Amino acid sequence: MAKPQRKKKAWYKLDNAAMMYSAIQRENYSAIYRFSAVMTELVDPEALQRAIDKTMPRFPTFRVRIKRGVFWYYFEPNDAPGPFVKEDMKNPCQPVRFWEDNGWLVRFFYYGRRISLEVFHALADGAGALTLLRTLLAVYLRERGWAIPNTGGVLDITQPPPAEEGEDAYFRYAKSRVRRGMGERKAYQNTGTPEPFYTLNVTMGLLPLDRLRAAAKGYGASVTEYLSAVLIASILARQRREGRRRELPVALAVPINLRPHFPSRTLRNFILTVRPSIDPELGEYTFSEIVSQVHHHMRLHITRQEMQAVITRNVMLQKNKFLQLAPAPLKNLSMALSYRLVGCRPYSTTYTNPGAFPVPPEMAPHIQRMEVILGQSYTPRANCASISYGNTMEITFAGTVKETDVERDFFRHLVREGIPVKVISNREE
Amino acid sequence: MSYCVNCGVELDPTARACPLCHTPAVNPNQPVDTALPPPFPSRREEVQPVSKKELALLLSAMMGSVAVCCGLLNLFFLHSSRPWSLYVIGAAAMLWIWLVPPLVLRRMPLWIRLGLDACAVGVYVYLISIDLRGLDWYLGLALPIVLTGGAIVMALGLVLSSGRSILTSVTLIIGAVGLFLMGIEFFVDRWLTETYQPGWSLVVAAVCVALMVPLIVVRRRPALRDEVRRRFHL
Ligand SMILES: [Zn+2]
Repeated sequence: MAKPQRKKKAWYKLDNAAMMYSAIQRENYSAIYRFSAVMTELVDPEALQRAIDKTMPRFPTFRVRIKRGVFWYYFEPNDAPGPFVKEDMKNPCQPVRFWEDNGWLVRFFYYGRRISLEVFHALADGAGALTLLRTLLAVYLRERGWAIPNTGGVLDITQPPPAEEGEDAYFRYAKSRVRRGMGERKAYQNTGTPEPFYTLNVTMGLLPLDRLRAAAKGYGASVTEYLSAVLIASILARQRREGRRRELPVALAVPINLRPHFPSRTLRNFILTVRPSIDPELGEYTFSEIVSQVHHHMRLHITRQEMQAVITRNVMLQKNKFLQLAPAPLKNLSMALSYRLVGCRPYSTTYTNPGAFPVPPEMAPHIQRMEVILGQSYTPRANCASISYGNTMEITFAGTVKETDVERDFFRHLVREGIPVKVISNREE
Repeated sequence: MSYCVNCGVELDPTARACPLCHTPAVNPNQPVDTALPPPFPSRREEVQPVSKKELALLLSAMMGSVAVCCGLLNLFFLHSSRPWSLYVIGAAAMLWIWLVPPLVLRRMPLWIRLGLDACAVGVYVYLISIDLRGLDWYLGLALPIVLTGGAIVMALGLVLSSGRSILTSVTLIIGAVGLFLMGIEFFVDRWLTETYQPGWSLVVAAVCVALMVPLIVVRRRPALRDEVRRRFHL
């Protein structure tokens, strides 16, 4: 048998966000998220596997494994067989282990009418993963005999992948003269009773987008701002119930897609977080005051100039000579420690809203709704994420906590505002 | 469609209770649909925790070979009259008990682990006493001290493992040290003079109590605690 010729593998560096996600990686924690499409018909796993095999070569930034160099992790093309579609399970978004499952950092699942894609955050952000999922769904529907064009964000899998899709866009835009950093106050931690190892409680709420948009408009806010405000109000109420003597600010980490602000075609990470917050020590806030606070915070801070200053600071940090020369294990340890001590402490939870999932009109009748799950958090608390498709807004709370009080208050608030909510969950009753 | 009477949210036809508030779904017109597939799979995937077996095996092999080699050398070649290899074998056994069981049995409670560790120390000291022909000092002095120390450490581990504040932990550790030193003096006195006249250990114990009282006061008074936290925060 002839030995397959060893090609020189084209490795590449992790981007700024990926570095953080891989450094804080542990045996029982990884930054994983999942996007699912609920189709109108039962999923055909064989057609789905064929679609995956055809689609993945078009997305080289997802066909990688992560390796540890002496100083930094790096990505290397993964030529192992797979990834293989698997039957879905009750506890999604399990941590990855870099040496298991042939080193794959993406996973595909099916359950009934649901097709799910799980991605390790070091590979790509939500926008990149949704491009992969949209293209995969188009190829899958073609396998099922439908004619789907390469329009509306579906990539042409017969074309070679352009290099711009694999660029580290942070690097390109780290050109600001000023470096702006964090140094935020500690926020209320919103933790609860942890569930046993590898349990992820998922609760989803489904609501009509037009009613939600109308409610948000009633407060002069966007849907993201409005839902962030509802979430902050729910967490404020929880802190109040705990009866602390001194209350801490409630702050959200809201990732912002940078592509609309800094043109880039990258499918890798290109996000920053903003931090809307409410400090209850300043006094009582009515709900409309919270909405207005969140609205103005977002409008004030999501500016090209300010975000560029933060990007520059983050990239410069990674170019720091001391940090560069520290061996990788030491770096991981110190980054994990500083993340534990500083990184997740300024936030009460994460709320991410990739917004609408557009598809070409030919695909629309085959998809019923979209779903998103943020995997487990570093500490026992629930994360929130939402995605809309057509007129269905889907909001997910996922976490490794037993308590349901934040999501209960959140959805009850929406119901009180006249928005009908349907709730589904994987919790045991 | 069923709604939660408590939250006002619509429930899945397969839901037996509201996922938000656990109120049972009772709808006489539409009982829970058990035929429909639930919205999420019920199959749980168990992830195997990373196995430390290889490391445990490697450590066992290392300790074992060191012990066997020294034992053979001792028996046949070097100073066969004195069982010097017992020191090495005992050290290897003690290290093995300290390191290997926690790797293999990850669910072992902390207090059992600490108890085992103390027993290992006891066994090691016993092996030394065999070489020095000192079974009497072993039984009279070393064993009681090791057992007392082991018991105190076990109790401390049991109390601290359920997550105490730094102040409480420091207070308890100081108390444990004081107690241990008093135990040492008791056994030393009994061994040397067969009477118990508490002396130096009472001084140490008094110092420990003097250290503990302010800590307990600070722990009890929220205002003081806040002050300390502010000044000593990291
Ligand atoms: Zn309810």
